[in-house]
Amino acid sequence: MNMDPVTQHSAQLTRRHFFGRSSTGIGAAALASLLGGGATAAPGASGLPHFAPRAKRVIYLFMNGAPTHVDLFDYKPKLKELHGKPVPQEYVGGKRFSTMTGNPKGKLMLSPVEPFHRRGQSGAWVSDLMPHTAGIADDLCFIKSMFTEQVNHSPAVTFFLTGSEMAGRPSMGSWLTYGLGSETDNLPAFTVMTSVSKGTSCGQIFYDYYWSSGFLPSRLQGVKFRSGGDPVLYLSSPDGVSRPVRRGILDDLAKLNELRFRDVSDPAISTRISQYELAYKMQASVPELSDISQEPQHVLDLYGPQVKERGTFAHNCLMARRLIERGSRFVQLMHAGWDQHNSITTELYNQCRDTDQPSAGLVMDLKQRGLLEDTLVIWGGEFGRTPFIQGNIKDRRRWGRDHHPYAFTTWMAGGGVKPGITWGASDDLAINSVTDKVHVHDFQATILHLLGIDHERLDFKFQGRRYRLTDVHGKVVKGIIA
Amino acid sequence: MKQILLILIFLSFAGWGRTQEIDFNRQIRPLLSDNCFKCHGPDQGKRKADLRLDTEQGLRAELDGQQLVTPGKPEESELYLRLVHEDEDERMPPQKTRLKLSSSEIELVKKWIAQGAKWQEHWSLRPLENPAPPKGEGSDWPRNAIDQFVLRGLRREEFSPSAEEDKARLFRRLTLDLTGLPPGLEELDSYLASEAPDAYAKAVDRLLESPSYGERMAWDWLDLARYADTNGFQGDSTRSMWPWRDWVVRSLNANMPFDKFTVEQIAGDMLPDASLEQKLATGFCRNHMINGEGGRIAEENRVEYIFDQIETIGTVWMGLTVQCARCHDHKFDPLRQRDYYQLFAIFNQTPVNGGGRDPATPPVIRAPDSLQYGKLDELNKGITASALKVERVEERLFTREEGQNASQSEAAKGLPKKVVEALSRGPAERNPAQLGEVEKHYREGMAAYSALLKKLREQVAEREKLEKSFVRVMVMQDKPGSRKSFILDKGLYNQKREEVSAEVPQSLPALPEKAPRNRLSLARWLVDPSHPLTARVTVNREWQKFFGTGLVKTVEDFGAQGEKPTHPELLDWLASEFIRGGWDLKALHRLIVTSATYRQSARWTAELARKDPANRLLGRGPRWRMPSWMIRDHALAASGLLVNRLGGPSVKPYQPKGVWAEATFGKMRYSQDKGEKLYRRSLYTFWRRIIGPTIFFDTAKRQTCEVRKILTNTPLHALATLNDVTYVEASRALAQRVLEKAGPEPADSATMAFRLVTCRRPDADELKILLGRLAILKEQYSADPGAAAKLLSVGDSPRNTKLDAIEHAAFAGLCSLILNLDEALTK
Repeated sequence: MNMDPVTQHSAQLTRRHFFGRSSTGIGAAALASLLGGGATAAPGASGLPHFAPRAKRVIYLFMNGAPTHVDLFDYKPKLKELHGKPVPQEYVGGKRFSTMTGNPKGKLMLSPVEPFHRRGQSGAWVSDLMPHTAGIADDLCFIKSMFTEQVNHSPAVTFFLTGSEMAGRPSMGSWLTYGLGSETDNLPAFTVMTSVSKGTSCGQIFYDYYWSSGFLPSRLQGVKFRSGGDPVLYLSSPDGVSRPVRRGILDDLAKLNELRFRDVSDPAISTRISQYELAYKMQASVPELSDISQEPQHVLDLYGPQVKERGTFAHNCLMARRLIERGSRFVQLMHAGWDQHNSITTELYNQCRDTDQPSAGLVMDLKQRGLLEDTLVIWGGEFGRTPFIQGNIKDRRRWGRDHHPYAFTTWMAGGGVKPGITWGASDDLAINSVTDKVHVHDFQATILHLLGIDHERLDFKFQGRRYRLTDVHGKVVKGIIA
Repeated sequence: MKQILLILIFLSFAGWGRTQEIDFNRQIRPLLSDNCFKCHGPDQGKRKADLRLDTEQGLRAELDGQQLVTPGKPEESELYLRLVHEDEDERMPPQKTRLKLSSSEIELVKKWIAQGAKWQEHWSLRPLENPAPPKGEGSDWPRNAIDQFVLRGLRREEFSPSAEEDKARLFRRLTLDLTGLPPGLEELDSYLASEAPDAYAKAVDRLLESPSYGERMAWDWLDLARYADTNGFQGDSTRSMWPWRDWVVRSLNANMPFDKFTVEQIAGDMLPDASLEQKLATGFCRNHMINGEGGRIAEENRVEYIFDQIETIGTVWMGLTVQCARCHDHKFDPLRQRDYYQLFAIFNQTPVNGGGRDPATPPVIRAPDSLQYGKLDELNKGITASALKVERVEERLFTREEGQNASQSEAAKGLPKKVVEALSRGPAERNPAQLGEVEKHYREGMAAYSALLKKLREQVAEREKLEKSFVRVMVMQDKPGSRKSFILDKGLYNQKREEVSAEVPQSLPALPEKAPRNRLSLARWLVDPSHPLTARVTVNREWQKFFGTGLVKTVEDFGAQGEKPTHPELLDWLASEFIRGGWDLKALHRLIVTSATYRQSARWTAELARKDPANRLLGRGPRWRMPSWMIRDHALAASGLLVNRLGGPSVKPYQPKGVWAEATFGKMRYSQDKGEKLYRRSLYTFWRRIIGPTIFFDTAKRQTCEVRKILTNTPLHALATLNDVTYVEASRALAQRVLEKAGPEPADSATMAFRLVTCRRPDADELKILLGRLAILKEQYSADPGAAAKLLSVGDSPRNTKLDAIEHAAFAGLCSLILNLDEALTK
């Protein structure tokens, strides 16, 4: 068997569970309990959580393409004053931008395209582009001092989700399920769903390393739920194979495998028997999960008009709630199309239309069910967008903003985060993060902390080195923890 | 705790309990490496107190006037004293590192010092010695030297090897391991019938000569070479590197010696009079991803491509994690950041500029795939023969002095200018137009000569046409002059520091003084018999192919933090033998599969299960789930659907609808192939990097170099082999096959299907279960003939409509069961 110590460890646990502690013989009773659904959900790493968790699960609403903090959340009146004037050199000197901007010298400042208002008791600034998010401002914790090291999409997304800009490290969801295990035995612990706004001209591709298990055991990889066909690849039995036909085949498959097990005693066989059984269960549990016909109208309404349409962000948000209700640990929704290089006055509106209400609806739905307390919801992209223009200031239809890693905004809700606060700040032009700066690794350390994990202690040895999500960096942002 | 357990297991392997002699490399270095090297190791940037524990010199140094290590006297050795220091602030490792040695580990260090503190160079960097295989110790079990080493290890732990595997099962294991395909029933029957003592050896020879051998062995090479059909990243343009893939298969089938295989792939273009094939081989280096994302800086891309090239070579040939030295000196192994950028300098000489997303960025060549290669070969032979005939005529027609060409003959005087021009080249070197000129000129006067020219012209023209159809393959080539190279701070392309020149790492054997510092010298250096790593790393990776785990489990890391070999002498012996035998891969494979170790039964015994569940002592035969690509090939072969043809462009077999479209917002759509292309071997499957073929699981991602095999067991795999069209169709085809061949008696057909998959007959209990299920399936499909019709329409291959649909569907259900047996999925 070619297993790393962790797989081996969990395989042994499974084995012990199935066979008692003694020998390698599987008894009829053990097999019966196995087939009867006695299998427990997968355990996590030993010694975890490190301390009492505030959140048990995470829903990460990842906004691919980098939403414009300037137009949505990070209100700077001075931008209006300087609209059409060159960016002051002292804000951008010596900084690296995408080759589309190159040297930012002389670029003209661009005012936010819609007005901002203070919202709720907390008085957080939110643009009119996001009315539903504005409506739940008192439940949210805005972090306005984010910054990253990456200036291109793929490396920046990879950096956020895996802690390294190079593809191939385990993603956050894999780390969490590795550390904390799973609370469901018939659904994936870590699920990914993707969407893009209709009519978007420039979507960013979703690479599967955004939910990779990297060097962790590959069972910890995110399971991609698809927007068309089977939600999980190969979930449906083929045409002409009914549920009773399949059941019968699997029963005898198990019997024959058990005979084989008696002969060679290889524990991999008993694991296989249980995995086939799990596959059969998933064939029922995933369709049950996807069937939203029992959702009352007032709940569907929270998520907005697209909620019934598979492949939309709204539908995915509802599915996210259904998944975590059923014990999923980490749901990663990725919505593309935020890359407004020349569409701040056009496609940005579509992005907001398709994501604002579902995101807010999800938070409200979780709250009314009492799930928000121990579910952490995260909203954000891989970087921000330049407060100065990309394009011609005279051509309003084509206004755009380029990639901007030096300051941007994310928000969190629930899961032990202080509601109704704004953390940190960028400078008066939203160009550089200046107060209580939050680096991507700090952000990750904080998420792990909320789940009861010391980010410095959740590590895995690979190629001779102990790796962690936060590499060798990261400080927990204590100020946002309730 | 887990670690301590592992160490204890490890120690018991080494037989430490009995010998008491501490082995520095096995027992002490790992402790120092794990706990101390980070601050007191090779990285001079981070080194604390100017103290290093990774070298002998370092350990012999003084600290604050106290000997770090006083041989024989732990109490006078600062190294030991610091481990047990009462003051927390003085004790090592510092608390904040969260590293800690257990009391038994500290005891080991103490004992090692007490025994004289003998130091050894890291095991994998020591020169290869050729250890003599231990004597068989009165056992007739060993078949070759491998077994002598393995037996010694087992005996140390008071184990015995397992008996030989059942004949049929062993034959299946062997055939799958060497060809990736199950044996056919005829091969199986004739093997089972043979009583000849050399039947097994003959089977091995036959399988090694099978063209399927190269296809099977190629898969792992494609994984580590990160071979794919697209660029990766956004855009993910399609490339045409498959002629390189075919080169790999041809070379493996031809048993090209591994040293040659190495040199040609790293620097084939630099060999004297490099052939097209040798240039094609260097496609290896260009298999890296290409980033065409808008806004990327070309130079940054270019630098990253080189990182990928040297890191791949580091992993594949040296088992070194060279990537760790990209940003700083290696924390554990003697690789300096300077070494990294000196290797970088060797690859920093191509004209690649890093810009754009063109999947055929120069340097490129047009090269044949295996289908075209056969035609080209045939044409070349024909051209040589025809040219010789023309040559003979011309020797008489245009008599001339030795060393002169035909145009210089007296007889050529006064001929038209174009004819003379054509005659100035040998017949084989003329292009079709030139051949045509001569042909035309002599059509009237010398019809026979003209006819010979006509034939040659047609052949050359056909070759030209064929060559024009060759696709473009990215290859290596250095540009004139030399590009300067610098240490790049933190690996950032624009953070140039000190200039460096091309050189191999300082801690490894030096290049010959006069050798030019280029790719060719590097390639030759890697396969120099004095290189301590290449042969060890290679034989270990090959071992993994057969046993699932290497003798060094960390096949990618032979450094201080990698695992130590379970059988160090065996590894060294295999490596020495490999070099001595001329880097002969087939000989190595033969040696492995003919060993008694490989031929053991895979049955677990309670004793072995408890003490050695991972089979590191090799007390039983290898048994593990086949790689997913092999599961597919196996199902295609067993069902008779397989179209076994070598080479050519990649193919697009079944894939659920919408997978590409969803990943690319509809920009790319998978257009599934039809007919034979659905049934080619898995290695010909089109590999889109951003969304790999969905049918394979636990596979390398083909994005960067991967050498370690992954083996997991999840419900998603079960869903694939139960529900994917490939497997449903294979069940239907297997059912048809046995219904056609074995006749109407259910027991015969069921037995034949079972045999085609498992190579053995079901026993009475098994047959009873199979027939019982079959009867129920018949009832179920009789009750629902519509379902039978639906099941039989899955997949594109035609079905034999003469067969009764109910019976066929019921058998298809049964065959799906058989193809999903653990025994079917496992080697």
